[in-house]
Amino acid sequence: MKGIMTPRHVALWIAFAAIMLLLPQVVSNGTLRIIIFANFLAIFAMSWDFLSGKTGYVSFGHPFLIGIGAYTTAILSYRFHMPIEYSIPIAVLTTIAGGTFFFLPALRIKGTYFALVTLAFMELIYQLTQVIRPDLTGGTRGISGVKTLLVGAVPNYYFSFLLMLGIALVLWVLARTRLGTALDAIAMNEEAVSGSGLSTTKLKLFAFMVSAAVAGIGGAFYVHYLGSIAPRALFDIDFVFTIIVSALIGGASTIVGPMLGAFFMTFLLEYLRPLLPGSERYLIYGLVALVLYVYQPKGIYAIIADLRDGMRSKNANNSKNSGKVGDGKAA
Amino acid sequence: MTQILIQGFLLSGLYALIAVGFTLIFSVGRVLNLAYGAYIMMGGYAYFYAVHIWHLPKTLGFLSAVVVGAIAGILMYRLLVKRLEGDQVAVEISTLILAVIIQAGIVLLFNDSSKILLPIVNGVWHVGSTTITKNMVMAMIASWIILGGLLAFVKFTHLGRAIQAVSMDPKGALISGIRTDRINLTTWAISGALGAVAGVFFATHTQLNPSMWVSPLIIAVAVVIVGGIGSIIGSLIVAHIIGFMEIITSTLIGAELRGIFTMLLIIIVLVVRPQGLFGRGDL
Repeated sequence: MKGIMTPRHVALWIAFAAIMLLLPQVVSNGTLRIIIFANFLAIFAMSWDFLSGKTGYVSFGHPFLIGIGAYTTAILSYRFHMPIEYSIPIAVLTTIAGGTFFFLPALRIKGTYFALVTLAFMELIYQLTQVIRPDLTGGTRGISGVKTLLVGAVPNYYFSFLLMLGIALVLWVLARTRLGTALDAIAMNEEAVSGSGLSTTKLKLFAFMVSAAVAGIGGAFYVHYLGSIAPRALFDIDFVFTIIVSALIGGASTIVGPMLGAFFMTFLLEYLRPLLPGSERYLIYGLVALVLYVYQPKGIYAIIADLRDGMRSKNANNSKNSGKVGDGKAA
Repeated sequence: MTQILIQGFLLSGLYALIAVGFTLIFSVGRVLNLAYGAYIMMGGYAYFYAVHIWHLPKTLGFLSAVVVGAIAGILMYRLLVKRLEGDQVAVEISTLILAVIIQAGIVLLFNDSSKILLPIVNGVWHVGSTTITKNMVMAMIASWIILGGLLAFVKFTHLGRAIQAVSMDPKGALISGIRTDRINLTTWAISGALGAVAGVFFATHTQLNPSMWVSPLIIAVAVVIVGGIGSIIGSLIVAHIIGFMEIITSTLIGAELRGIFTMLLIIIVLVVRPQGLFGRGDL
């Protein structure tokens, strides 16, 4: 078995972190705000990737998990004046518990049907938040005036980036252990995995819990960054679309890919803004996503890996390749 | 009580109409077309454009909806679904992306404000204390005629039986000399047209706006999943279960809760009985 983290990987991660940490010296606060959003989107996309990209159980209802995390901490801190140090961990635990709602159907159904159940979960919670105890959830209008954690673009940028980096490293290392390999195998052939004497139920439960925990962390901190929450913005098919597309465009099942994808999609949308001020942006944005997905379902990660391989073979340098190349699969 | 019965039948008729095109694709192509809601939206907007902006007669409005829906279906199959060669999850994801693209296109063409579509038939009837719009009755009658026609088409015509054959066993159909590709194309066109017609009625029932595609899509998904995949009769029955459940909850409990039981039904049926209430029928 290859080493989980080679010196080259360490160097790449450090270089990435260094560039990102120096960024506030160079770019404007407006751009930082965009990157903060990209950081949170990357967290959501990686959470999606760990569940759906890895195990092949495609979730169309990830905002269900994110929403549980966000709403729990928002309600606890805003309605019950609980300090954030307590409300966020409780929110994450609640989200993990919510992840088992995703897990139950996954015991029996997969593929298309699983995707639909998760979509139904999202619609269900969307309608429930408006009806059940609107005095707590704020109903259709949601909650605004939630305590924010930090003030200003620069501190928020550093915080969201470090949060994202921490999650990325943990998930990336997890994905490269034998456990991660087993999860990949579930996506390919679940019967074969259980035939090899591994408990697919336990493996799936693990993936779902990790994914839910990440979604909960992301959701909870996101609401304390925004300071407000509303059901329509959260439990929305457009939000699902953004998460899934980021993960797929980046490269499903690679963890690094969804991170790249989140940055790519966010900046695509932002750079289209001056060119196309109106809603045409979303048309172009969607078309780019569709064409990229149909052209290379393995995403940007695979495109980069292919390019790198092309350069390598040109240099006739067949040194040991430490990266997982081209084995990222479409979800 | 009569109110529940009448409104239940009317709403269920509309739901059956919405679901049937979706069922057709699922049974023949074995793929979930998440852009199906977009047909519904495009049908509604095509009718709006023809009748309210160009002031064409209503028949031509319907005709334009049918044409737009059928073309959308054909393009979707040719350009996207065929390329992905039966990879179910890839089709789902790419049709979801497509639906969002179409939504953006609609915003671009018609801007994102809601538009009211005037009823196709004006007037109301009073039955006891209940008021029934003639428009909903028309939608129900149209739905029954279309469903009956479709059932007859599938059972008794050559093309319909070929569609049935492909839905049962594509390879077997191919060996028997059926051009499965052409059958698939036809089915996508029919599904698009059915969706678009349903869209006109749905739009008069609610209103036109660029995000109107989500709720009919969920209804179609619920009907297909709960009914058992690809059974037209099963879909019809489940459309009535869902329609009546919505009416009963909104009259007896509260209008806000009407959608919740549909979601619960999807979740429970999928978890407890993934093959659907009426099994995996063939058309």
